[in-house]
Amino acid sequence: MASEDEINILVIVIDVNPIWWGQQAQREPKFTLSKCLDAVMVLANSHLVMARTNKLAIIANLYQESHFLYPSKNWKSGDDIASSGDGKYELLSVANDLFAEEIRKLMDRKVNCTQTETLLAGSLSRALCYINRVSKEVEAGQDVKSRILVIKAAEDFTLQYMNFMNVVFAAQKKNVLIDACMLDIDSGLLQQACDITGGLYLKIPQKIALAQYLLWVFLPDGDQRSQLLLPPPVHVDYRAACFCHRNLIEIGYVCSVCLSIFCNFSPICTTCETAFKMPLPQMAKTKKKKVKTVN
Amino acid sequence: DEEPERTKRWEGGYERTWEVLKEDESGSLKATVDDILFQAKRKRVFESHGQVRLGMMRHLFVVVDTSRTMEDQDLKPNRLTSTLKLMEYFVDEYFDQNPISQIGIITTKNKRADKLTDLAGNPKKHIAALKKAVDSTCIGEPSLYNSLLMAMQTLKHMPAHTSKEILIVFSSLTTCDPANIYELIKTIKGLKIRVSVIGLSAEVRVCTILTRETGGSYNVILDEGHFKELLMLHVKPPPASSSSECSLIRMGFPQHVIASMSDQDAKPSFSMSHLESTSGGPELTLGGYYCPQCRAKYTELPVECKVCGLTLVSAPHLARSFHHLFPLDAFQETLLEEYEGEKFCEACQGELKDKRIFTCPACKKVFCVECDLFIHDTLHCCPGCMHTDGTS
Repeated sequence: MASEDEINILVIVIDVNPIWWGQQAQREPKFTLSKCLDAVMVLANSHLVMARTNKLAIIANLYQESHFLYPSKNWKSGDDIASSGDGKYELLSVANDLFAEEIRKLMDRKVNCTQTETLLAGSLSRALCYINRVSKEVEAGQDVKSRILVIKAAEDFTLQYMNFMNVVFAAQKKNVLIDACMLDIDSGLLQQACDITGGLYLKIPQKIALAQYLLWVFLPDGDQRSQLLLPPPVHVDYRAACFCHRNLIEIGYVCSVCLSIFCNFSPICTTCETAFKMPLPQMAKTKKKKVKTVN
Repeated sequence: DEEPERTKRWEGGYERTWEVLKEDESGSLKATVDDILFQAKRKRVFESHGQVRLGMMRHLFVVVDTSRTMEDQDLKPNRLTSTLKLMEYFVDEYFDQNPISQIGIITTKNKRADKLTDLAGNPKKHIAALKKAVDSTCIGEPSLYNSLLMAMQTLKHMPAHTSKEILIVFSSLTTCDPANIYELIKTIKGLKIRVSVIGLSAEVRVCTILTRETGGSYNVILDEGHFKELLMLHVKPPPASSSSECSLIRMGFPQHVIASMSDQDAKPSFSMSHLESTSGGPELTLGGYYCPQCRAKYTELPVECKVCGLTLVSAPHLARSFHHLFPLDAFQETLLEEYEGEKFCEACQGELKDKRIFTCPACKKVFCVECDLFIHDTLHCCPGCMHTDGTS
């Protein structure tokens, strides 16, 4: 039983890249975006029902933009809540209605971008700001535990490394767990994020069973997970990539000024343009030969 | 020099702190309290240095005075306990902001100096030692000369590209030195070691000269809150002195091997860092980090390999320091009434309730007070900029 003093915040970040979902609908007609959203709504409702003080937010990640699907800007807490006819908990019906409306609005917009990769750092930073605001607004004496669940479809956008790492370290500092549910391809960045913050990383073997995986693995919060038998942690590759060739290296040279990594010794750092001292080979001392003078 | 009209603290009148609080029409103090809290928060967001080279790899020795004056109870419960508690917090924050740096702790009492912990890159050992030191007795006089000598003897062997620093927490007003301290100050200055002092009692002239000659800072605390602030100033990497050399440091990036009991090849083995540990017993572990050069095993990073001397780090450790190199500009502050757009914070989607709003100069999005503090303190990157431009 969750006590009144604990507030659990769950933020779900969904990847709605239209190109990936469009291709997916052609590959596997049984699992489309609407099925995925149904599964997410099941998880969202379950989370809200687990305890009265649980809070929820859903963010959709579209290329480089992120949109808050719930709670949305236009909703103020004082509005009349239409009571649902079937006796459902009002918060659930409001949440579901808002969610569906916002997704429809999002899909109606015309987007010009055609890239197939998604930029997660923006959505994650907004999620952290939301968690930060909610944590500040609680009354004194209440504990706040928060986690972010990322449902990822398309590939990573590799240029976002530094922003992404900043966001991950901020999450670690604030004790926010980052969980990842991968639908298609493995992502090195999210593996590192889950490892650093202590969350769970899972690549789903069967997409149709998304709802089961979400409820089994990602619904319990951090404290309860130690008592459950969950998928084992994956092996994370923490090797660095050198700046010149982008190869993963085991031993490298690091510039002491700008911390860029190189695989070979070079006299000038390409990032900060500092000249390094070359380690000179030791000069062997030449023995002075005594020159015998002939008188 | 000071103006002649300024009265000394004991001559001046009382500080009428109650006059700061003003009630509004309904009798509530909320507006003034909010204002005071806001001013306190804004003080923490200071401007960045700009494009200055920073000393990222730091070797810092902290000298803690454990002489008789530390039993004084002006910091609750006594100065020693309060200092050690703040030191634990400092060690945590230091390794968070400077993951590839090292700290060593020295205590001084009874006219001698003792090394509490050696220079190491792992915070756990230091925090354990600090917790144990709370029970130690405070007797005798501190010795500035002996503690500086002890720190200097280790620091002079450090490579030239690192930033060598000493931080002294000095509570006594006297020091007992076996030799001329001014000579030692000259030697320290020659070795390019930067010494800073945080005084707990009053300003002492020898400390002023010490910090002035070596290029450090000298502050005396007002109360515990001020003490914490002064300590936190030393967490950020200092601007590198012009004489420090830049070089390429050879580092290893070991792979983390996770082996489970069901693996047939997995054999439990000792970690090299446990050879010297006296607490617990040697622990056999299945997985760990293997040095790429000599295959010695370690359980935690960052560490310097005892067998071959290679520094082992992981890529996120280096990534933690990136925000020092690319600091985020401070946001522009404007009033809510002058802002015409939608009154919602870009980052947290909350309504802008406070009368001040902040605009990012690069992407022109507005943020509320809480998000501005969070972005500058913890996040170090602007959510608005991440949306308009996908590159890091």
